[in-house]
Amino acid sequence: MMRARALIAAAVLAAAGCGGTPPERAVSLLVFGDPHELAAYRSLEAAYERADPGTDVRLVEAGDRKDLITRLSTSIAGGKPPDLFLMNYRFYGQFAARDAIDPAGPLLASSRQLREQDFYPQAMAAFQFGGKQLCMPQNISSLVVYYNRDLFRKYRVAEPGAGWTWDDMVATATALTRDANGDVVKGVDFDQPGAAPTGPPPVEYGLAVSPELVRLAPFVWSNEGKVFDDATEPSRIALDGPALEALQNFIDLRGRHGVVPTDQEAESQDDEARFAAGTLGMLMSSRRSTTTFRAIDGFDWDVAPLPVYRTPATVLHSDAYCIPRGAPNKTGAWRFVEFALGKGGAEIMAATGRTVPSNKAVAESPSFLDPNAKPRNAKVFLDSIPTIRAAPTLSTWPEIEDVANDILENALYYNQPPAEVARRLDEQTAPLFARARP
Amino acid sequence: MTGVELVGVRAAHGTRDVLRHIDLTVARGELLVVLGPSGAGKSTLLRVIAGLHPVSSGTIGIAGRDVTRLSPGERDVAMVFQSYALFPHLTVADNIAFGHRVRGVRRKHARPIAAKAAEVAGCAHLLDRFPHQLSGGERQRVALARAVVREPAVFLLDEPLSNLDGELRAQTRVELRALHDRVGATTLHVTHSRSEALTLGDRIAVVRDGELEQVGTPDDIWRRPGTEFVATFVGAMNLLPADGPWRADAHRVGVRREAVSLADDGIPARVDRVEVVGEDTYVHLRVAGAHAVVARVATADRPAADSAVHVRVHDRDLHLFDYDGSRI
Amino acid sequence: MSAKDRQLALMLTPYLIGLTALVLVPAVASLGMAFTEYDLIGAARWVGLANFAELATSVPFRAALVNSLVFAAIAVPLRVAAAVGLALLLHRRAPAATTASTAATLPTAVPEIAYGLLWLWLFNPLYGPVNQLLRWGGENGRTAFDTTVPSWLTSPNDARAAIVVMSLFTIGEMLVVLLAARRALPREVHELAALEGATGWTLARRVTLPMLAPVIGLLLLRDTILSFQFSFVPALVVTDGGPPPYSTTYLSLYIYRNAFEYLRYGHAAAATLVMLALTAGAVYLQWRTFHRYRSRYR
Repeated sequence: MMRARALIAAAVLAAAGCGGTPPERAVSLLVFGDPHELAAYRSLEAAYERADPGTDVRLVEAGDRKDLITRLSTSIAGGKPPDLFLMNYRFYGQFAARDAIDPAGPLLASSRQLREQDFYPQAMAAFQFGGKQLCMPQNISSLVVYYNRDLFRKYRVAEPGAGWTWDDMVATATALTRDANGDVVKGVDFDQPGAAPTGPPPVEYGLAVSPELVRLAPFVWSNEGKVFDDATEPSRIALDGPALEALQNFIDLRGRHGVVPTDQEAESQDDEARFAAGTLGMLMSSRRSTTTFRAIDGFDWDVAPLPVYRTPATVLHSDAYCIPRGAPNKTGAWRFVEFALGKGGAEIMAATGRTVPSNKAVAESPSFLDPNAKPRNAKVFLDSIPTIRAAPTLSTWPEIEDVANDILENALYYNQPPAEVARRLDEQTAPLFARARP
Repeated sequence: MTGVELVGVRAAHGTRDVLRHIDLTVARGELLVVLGPSGAGKSTLLRVIAGLHPVSSGTIGIAGRDVTRLSPGERDVAMVFQSYALFPHLTVADNIAFGHRVRGVRRKHARPIAAKAAEVAGCAHLLDRFPHQLSGGERQRVALARAVVREPAVFLLDEPLSNLDGELRAQTRVELRALHDRVGATTLHVTHSRSEALTLGDRIAVVRDGELEQVGTPDDIWRRPGTEFVATFVGAMNLLPADGPWRADAHRVGVRREAVSLADDGIPARVDRVEVVGEDTYVHLRVAGAHAVVARVATADRPAADSAVHVRVHDRDLHLFDYDGSRI
Repeated sequence: MSAKDRQLALMLTPYLIGLTALVLVPAVASLGMAFTEYDLIGAARWVGLANFAELATSVPFRAALVNSLVFAAIAVPLRVAAAVGLALLLHRRAPAATTASTAATLPTAVPEIAYGLLWLWLFNPLYGPVNQLLRWGGENGRTAFDTTVPSWLTSPNDARAAIVVMSLFTIGEMLVVLLAARRALPREVHELAALEGATGWTLARRVTLPMLAPVIGLLLLRDTILSFQFSFVPALVVTDGGPPPYSTTYLSLYIYRNAFEYLRYGHAAAATLVMLALTAGAVYLQWRTFHRYRSRYR
């Protein structure tokens, strides 16, 4: 089964490398995404082929992030890597550390289309490894709060805005968690020991946030706490006092306040679907959700910055175009990158709603800040850029996230004490940090 | 008191009638051989009595009891199959004791009973073996022992000898008869071998196309075959037109091969071919210029091929048959 | 070499080439890989027994190992029992039985991923048909017997049960084999048993099951080997190895993750070797048990 998958992946990529177009005009691009996102990439592909007739961009579409990693690694091992792949900075570390990426830096330096200062430095920095610019970021998204404006109006709750605090958020979420009669109610998880029904269950929840390390981190930072022992060269997860406070508050969303769905409810309906169904007041997510939410026509929605403890902070979500070593058509790949990240390409992607452009000029232009396109407060994404912080780039980061997220999931749904959670995080991820390649 | 009684029994395979209308009575303690060509419905007849095949109409009685609606297990019959149907996973002792074990007899109590039956069937020395360790003859004995141990009202034997080869078959045939005489239970024995039928049965029932052609003692069947079919199936018979060499007021005239004797005078015939089979020789003749007739003579007395001879047949050896094949 | 042998050799060649190229060579390669650190991208580095040493202390690996063994111990007997039960019910050549056995075989023909996604919907704790059915007749979201409905995807044991339940419906191949085996049993043996008054359970226990025992034994062996694989897709698609930590992470999923998601091919190869050794051990034990009885059925 596993071997079969690897072979299929290799075959798909091999197939992408041959066809009617001469090889020097064909560029294969490995991406993943939901149907809305893939549609965005297809329109970019079409625009490029129109702009430069005779070229042929071949999208290789992976099922999800993990599938993309599988395909990429097996195709590299098979000697048939794609010309280009798009990957989140949190997961490119394993390829960067293994020297599997051809640095984009020299190409950028000699490019007549792109200049380094065109891009947000926060995004550029995330793709620097060992002092080299390895990949070219296409977007600079951050964690924001999507909210259902109709629900806020219906229950006469003030809409969130810049400078609102964690406690404001909890109060808002509490006011939005309602039972079938429209009364405020606290969601109780009957699966938990000692839990007894106190009334009808909520049919609308105030908030949803997945229990993940990168969702927790911005609040730790906002509370001026530390997630890692060292911000630049982390060697373990070491939550300090302010971090534990933020973690406690995070866990309380479920155990104490009951404003986020229970694990059963989260398994039954994912957060984006719950939001789209109009039964979720607020959802913490990145720009990715926008393409999906633009299909909503039942209610009005918008975005707000993350609530703040002491200093504003959010976490970077950024994907970049990387050229693997051994890519058959590097020149063609770079030409596509120049198009995709230049004004023309970046505007197309911005218009699809998928990205917050890494290209500053495009990000600040109407093609991103289009007042007629949702979310109306798109500027929230740009305003939060100065407060963006990134997760570290480590070859073992995917493993660290998987382990940490499992622990945080149990912490949230089983209401575990933060000190215990912090201990587990450290204990179980320490070997993974130790194994990370320099 | 009857052993088995069938009244107006019909049975079908799907839409095809296999037993058309069977009336048959088997006396208690009698050994009845059911004889017929393959496909005649002999096995179905046994299976109908055993309850393994449903009747379309008619009734079946066993030991004076109407069993038509009873399940096989309630009919008090034991069956020996052509394949013996031994359980491969059980020892000989457990095979023989199977019925007792099913009825809840404990293994240690069943064992001596099985041993006794094995003794009767002559396989007492095999008790602890598994079927795959037995020869064909041994398996047959075990199958018999398994039938005997039940002490059933009726034994049903479906071609029990057909899987044995010549010598063993003849020997087993004798033992089978001896066993029957010892046990004395009503027995229906199906076979397609006429020698088996003639030597073994108290009576023979000849079956053809799902109907009883004739029921009678071996002597009856041999000497006074009721139909042309019986006559030719039980033993080879020359069938000649009634206006042939032996004239009679009938449709056809039958003469057994051994009833045709070569003589100095009589009807002239020509020897076509001479076929020596051990002590007997079949002489293929052309009688009165036109009629093919086979005579069985002692090999010592055989004529030469192509020689001219004369044949004679005693009047009492002429069997006369009507247009419908029945005996006149 | 006789003509018959030559023909045999000729007919076997494509299979042997395939077996060598697709199974044996990769198997030997992964055997070697188990002693290296290898990520498919750079060169492999010899690390001796380090991978095994790490496995010995790895919490997720131990969880995966125990999960796989428990799964095999529960799912394999249940699957075989279900297939045997169905085969005994459906072996008659009646239209209804044919339809039923076709229906019972169908889930096996559904592509694995689609099958997984289907169950993801069926097991949805709140809206899924399975729990809707369990809540039938009950109140307040509880069953008719006033117990809570299973939390298929969020409680560790319920999730494990879910994977077992999923596996119970993909017994089509076994059913086909058992139906054929049941139909191949000599009719006379069952008729004889019927004459002796054996019916129903007695017949099954004393005759049918013992006579099917060699086939059942073989299927048990095969299913034990396969159990390390058929837990893979459900765990990947339906439970994602969770609920955390590792409740339904089986060896196959552990290996898949380490190899293809974390690019730790050497580590994964070492885990594969352990899985192979376990399989071989289980097969040996069962083989020894069955071998004692095998000769009777020749």
